[in-house]
Amino acid sequence: MSNTWKIAKWEVLRNLTNKQFIIGLLLTPLIMVAFIAFPLLLNHFNKPEQVVYQVVDYAQVMPLLQEAVPEHIVLEAAAQREAALAAVQAGEADGYLMLSQEFLLTGYAELHYDKISQSAFEKLNAALTRVLQQKRLELSQLSPAQLQFLTAPAALETIAVNEVKALDSNEIIVSAVAVLLIYILIFTSGSMLMLSALQERRDRMAEVILSSVRAVDLMQGKIIGHFLLGVIQLAFWITLALPAVVILTDFPLWEAISASNMPLIIFFGLLGYLLTAAMFVGLGATMEDMQSAGNSQGLVIMLPTLSFIFIAPVVQNPNGVVAKFASYFPFTSWVILTVRDAIAPVSLGEIAVSSAILILTTVIVIRIAAKVFRVGMLMYGKNATPREIWKWLRYKEM
Amino acid sequence: MMNSLEAAEVCKSYGGRMVVDHISFQAQAGQILGLLGPNGAGKTTTIRMIMGITAPDSGRVNFTYDGQRMEGVPRHLIGYLPEERGLYKDAKVMQLLVFLAGLKNIPAHEAKAKARMWLEKLDLAGYANAKVEQLSKGMAQKIQLIAAIIHEPKYIILDEPFSGLDPVNQDLIKAEIRSLAAQGAVILLSSHQMNIVEELCDQIFLINGGKKVVSGTLREIKESYGSYRVQVESAHGVEQLARLPLIEDVQRLGDTRWVLNLKDGITPEEFLRSIPEGCRFDELQIVRPSLHDIFVKIATGGEKQ
Repeated sequence: MSNTWKIAKWEVLRNLTNKQFIIGLLLTPLIMVAFIAFPLLLNHFNKPEQVVYQVVDYAQVMPLLQEAVPEHIVLEAAAQREAALAAVQAGEADGYLMLSQEFLLTGYAELHYDKISQSAFEKLNAALTRVLQQKRLELSQLSPAQLQFLTAPAALETIAVNEVKALDSNEIIVSAVAVLLIYILIFTSGSMLMLSALQERRDRMAEVILSSVRAVDLMQGKIIGHFLLGVIQLAFWITLALPAVVILTDFPLWEAISASNMPLIIFFGLLGYLLTAAMFVGLGATMEDMQSAGNSQGLVIMLPTLSFIFIAPVVQNPNGVVAKFASYFPFTSWVILTVRDAIAPVSLGEIAVSSAILILTTVIVIRIAAKVFRVGMLMYGKNATPREIWKWLRYKEM
Repeated sequence: MMNSLEAAEVCKSYGGRMVVDHISFQAQAGQILGLLGPNGAGKTTTIRMIMGITAPDSGRVNFTYDGQRMEGVPRHLIGYLPEERGLYKDAKVMQLLVFLAGLKNIPAHEAKAKARMWLEKLDLAGYANAKVEQLSKGMAQKIQLIAAIIHEPKYIILDEPFSGLDPVNQDLIKAEIRSLAAQGAVILLSSHQMNIVEELCDQIFLINGGKKVVSGTLREIKESYGSYRVQVESAHGVEQLARLPLIEDVQRLGDTRWVLNLKDGITPEEFLRSIPEGCRFDELQIVRPSLHDIFVKIATGGEKQ
């Protein structure tokens, strides 16, 4: 077994038997379920408050109107304005609606209220509009066929040109979830990797290990080890989640997975991991502890989150300038290109250029990280300043 | 079997500052070479170059094994105890020792057997499954030593192996180091504890400011580094002795204790012959300066005598 794999195995076994890791492994799905369930639960208990309105209906649209309003708006017929007002003053109704005989001509109606919410007002107004339109169409003495013709919605169908794949919302969902999971894997594994490098310095183990293996073996071993740990975490969570999706929903999971561009997502995810891991492991080698991390170190930690700034403009305009820039910029391309490809297929040429830039950047960052790692791991007692790191980069190869 | 470790004209600079300047020494199998020097003298950098952790700007580090010069650094044949050392706090002792031995290509079952043997030898038999964070500092130090020698290295490099150890454990470790040397290991030892260096080392190499100051056996160094000193205990003073022309200077250590430094080149016999008639003292000792004195002199920038 090579030294890189020995280090990787050690990192995996040590963490798999670590209480914190196991707790994180088990707690994360629970937290995620809680994040999904809690808003649903809140929504369940947060039903809109019921409001009761008396309706003085000279326009004779009451049955239609009652059908058009949502359940929480209760409409009760009142013979006259005085009776309706008396009901409001007695607290039996929250207001009364005056529909004059001219309502069908003018569209004018009055709501005299004691209590009203913006939502109730909007819903009532929408219901009145629908009733008004329906009644006016009826009054125009058109045949049912003509009525259907007039009110039929447009039917927009998407047809692929040149065998480009058609948009599929299920595929988009699967791709988005896959990208999100890979992002979580990269960020959590990267952070653990940084802490591991930092621990190596803090526990004064770096020099002991470096007397047996080369610095580059140690770095590679850590990167691979934490990648495997991340994959184990992810596999565990997916194993829990997939049966739940299949059993509890009617989502066509397998069709959507096979339709999505999974190889591209995995390829860019791997490159993204290598890039982030190299940055984080190099960074960990420059830090004594997390609390005293400097601004520049904080900025590097934030680099992987940059993609989220671009998500909204990319979704709105997947072939716009912003989307193209973010697909080529190596610190965002591994997320943005795959998101773009799920929304609107990206050309092979673009994928090739983006991959080339990302691979080149990853190679450069790994080389820089290896230099920083070699020197940084043996510097004890303080965080390195950017100036020191710059000096380390110019040291001769060790 | 002729194993040796040689540094030949090794140089290293950082940011234009020469921290190791043309250092050369050689240690043979069965020999303990003491690498001494004040803080910042270049010892750790020299050791890191020997270990291949950093590369020399010029010069070479040569490992000769069974009479053959080896290419590069034979990491699996070296045992290294760095000055800045620790252990993974959350790991178990046996688990950690097996991992570190594995890095030296020792199979797990063999590593476990060796670890058990060493744990027993160093009075740690009951701690194989203890977590490192449960160990005392002295215990952790002994685990670190086991980690450095578990693979039976032919070259052992120990940087401050006694720091933090109590006298009982110091004796235990000293005995093990002697035993390892007797078994044919080449041992390079760096320490600030001069009494231990005097006790253990066959050869001494003293550096300061990255340069060699003096090297050789303890006797050779003492000879080349200073004149004799006379320690006197007398209730009657040392005025007569102090007036002798072969005395360089006199230091009073207490009411009745003095140290008289002899001039360079004056032998004990010459001094004894020159003691005036009627000179009275209770005790008189003629000694070489200790390694400690030589070290302090070098560390404080004293000239070679």
